[in-house]
Amino acid sequence: MQKLLTLTAALTALSGTASAATTLQYWLWDSNQQPAYQQCAANFTKKNPDITVKITQKGWGDYWTGLTTGFVSGTAPDVFTNHLAYFPEFARNNQLVDINPLIARDKVATNIYYPGLAQLWTKDGKRYGLPKDFDTVAIFYNADLLQKAGLKPSDLANLTWNSKDGGTWQRTIARLTFDKGGNNGLSPKFNKKQVAQYGYMTPYGAGFNGQTEWAFYTATTGWKHNNGPFSTKYNYDDPRFAQSIQWLADLNLKQGLIPSFQEVQASGGDSLFRAGKAAMVTNGSWMISDYTSKLPFKVGIAPLPKGPDGTRKSMFNGLADSIWVGSKNQDAAWKWVKYLASAECQNVVGRTGVVFPAIPSATNLAVAAQKARGVDSSVFVNQAKAKGGTFLFPITDAAAQVNDIMTSTMQKVFLGQAKAADVFKDANAKVNALFK
Amino acid sequence: MTTVPTTQTAPHRPRRPFPFGRLLAYLALALVILISIFPIWIVFKTALTGSRNIFTEATSLWPSEPTLINFQRVLGLVSLEEAQAAGGSGSAVNFLNAMKNSVIFTGLIVVGQTFFSAMAAYAFARLRFPGRDAIFTLFLIAMMIPGIVLFIPNFITIKNLGLLNTLPGMIAPFILMTPFAVFFLRQFFLSLPRETEEAAFLDGAGPFTIFWRITLPMSQGPIATLAILTTIGMWNEFFWPFLIAKDEASFTLPVALQVFKSQTPQGVPDWTGLMAGTFIAAVPVFLLLIVLGRRVVESLAFSGTK
Repeated sequence: MQKLLTLTAALTALSGTASAATTLQYWLWDSNQQPAYQQCAANFTKKNPDITVKITQKGWGDYWTGLTTGFVSGTAPDVFTNHLAYFPEFARNNQLVDINPLIARDKVATNIYYPGLAQLWTKDGKRYGLPKDFDTVAIFYNADLLQKAGLKPSDLANLTWNSKDGGTWQRTIARLTFDKGGNNGLSPKFNKKQVAQYGYMTPYGAGFNGQTEWAFYTATTGWKHNNGPFSTKYNYDDPRFAQSIQWLADLNLKQGLIPSFQEVQASGGDSLFRAGKAAMVTNGSWMISDYTSKLPFKVGIAPLPKGPDGTRKSMFNGLADSIWVGSKNQDAAWKWVKYLASAECQNVVGRTGVVFPAIPSATNLAVAAQKARGVDSSVFVNQAKAKGGTFLFPITDAAAQVNDIMTSTMQKVFLGQAKAADVFKDANAKVNALFK
Repeated sequence: MTTVPTTQTAPHRPRRPFPFGRLLAYLALALVILISIFPIWIVFKTALTGSRNIFTEATSLWPSEPTLINFQRVLGLVSLEEAQAAGGSGSAVNFLNAMKNSVIFTGLIVVGQTFFSAMAAYAFARLRFPGRDAIFTLFLIAMMIPGIVLFIPNFITIKNLGLLNTLPGMIAPFILMTPFAVFFLRQFFLSLPRETEEAAFLDGAGPFTIFWRITLPMSQGPIATLAILTTIGMWNEFFWPFLIAKDEASFTLPVALQVFKSQTPQGVPDWTGLMAGTFIAAVPVFLLLIVLGRRVVESLAFSGTK
């Protein structure tokens, strides 16, 4: 009986559509987002009964290894979530489908997203993805520790920063740092060798873009990574850049207000914040639900400090869905990408309140969903909406090599083995040489 | 001939000084055991900790609110939403399928590798054929090649054979033999008395009969050692299955547990899920060692004296 039923079901499916049923492979890396996209996939199949989408989730590290070996061996997914740091290389190796002709054919609007997001995915008149979400950076703070130090959330609303004395931002960090004797970082008796609680922590995550680590400092000095997307000239030799990085390194090396590079490496990423031993951390909007729902203390969100130019600036980054050139289901893959980028799917994603969809109305749903959970995430969206409040991710060829050079150079500065003023000129020359 | 007086029957033993040396030895032993068991204990403790408390209770020896939720979500007994509500990554492992793949992967390799290696070792030890010693030297040289340089040619071969994403593709490079196993067994076979085999030969037994009916039964110890060591090694083998298995259906346990690693570039691994998965994955090896532990020790001691 069961067999007969499946047979009839299969027959009806076959007769219903001209083409045989297609199963699309779709990859993403963040399991927090998987339920939302699972829902999108279900809705999509309802509209396109001949296409089912199989979603595979892989953690960040394996994701890119898996994709690269997949391209080589012909086992890559039809459609996958793409990142700005990786797509230039994939595009250069002809692994991504140029969707511009398809957009023209189906008259798909690309101006429904936050300004700038769709353009990030273009190069030389070709387009490699449609935006799915965006992210900005802000301060996450441990509300309990803030209260214990006698600070109010509003005290974090208008902080200022500069690379000379660190401004009110550094003073706030100092107020939230305590040694084992209970002296805070402002007290002359503060013992920086016996710190019990840090006011702030940076994951160091050196790297070439510094999205959640240092780019929001350097950008407010007027400094830019490079001269625009696919630029072949970098500015790591700028003194403003060196001063900012040195200030960050000295917060640990000289002041003892943030954990050392070794400490962060040993405990991993933001573990000290998660353990309640660091009061504040800067991170991206994709961490909202992780921090606010999975930690044993209350976590609040504050805007970034304003820099020397009087504004606060966050990197503006977005993800997109790309189609692999080797996909045997190009038509179905395009339908799915189109659906992922549509208001219909982005509203579903927005309602889960895990990330901010690329379409503003869907983002409002996300903010509302978070509000219903008692989390005010408007800081991130305000940052994205503010005029001049964002700068774009440094899209570049040879991202991996630039990253290697900058990571090792920054490590030396963070470890106190070299002065930023001495080493970045050399590093920048190496980076620029990559493009000659 | 002197006999040592048995203390058992003596009603009044002469007072011996307190055995400080022995006490010290036991203390040292206890310390070593504690140090070896401690990581396993931490794995177990972390698996019982709720995600919420993992970082704040990192230094305690027992979770304040022990929970089985991590084991449940690793085994897929709770839904994605429940797993996330419990603070997990929401990553799902098809645990039973991965366990099945691991058993097939390890089982076939252990049986194949041990058997074929034994045949090769026997040929090198007992048969005479032209170029035998030259081939054996090549074998020894092959042992010096680090495994990592073989991954790319192996990968290309497997890809051209169309075996990506399949268990045969994962098993192929290991199933026939390893130079080490051949070398190890050859040395043992050389030490076996030739007379038994010659007697069998006179009775009309061919090389395979001699190998099967005489040499193998006489070599149970080293073969068991080899099989057990291979089992442990293959059960934990990560890199090759990771390269070959792209699809969840063909994941082995070590590959499947990867999903608990960091989800996002700034994220942290789902430690509690990872530890629960690791603990369950280690259970078969624990069981193997409990059942066959004495055998391993005996055979290691045995082969060690040869």
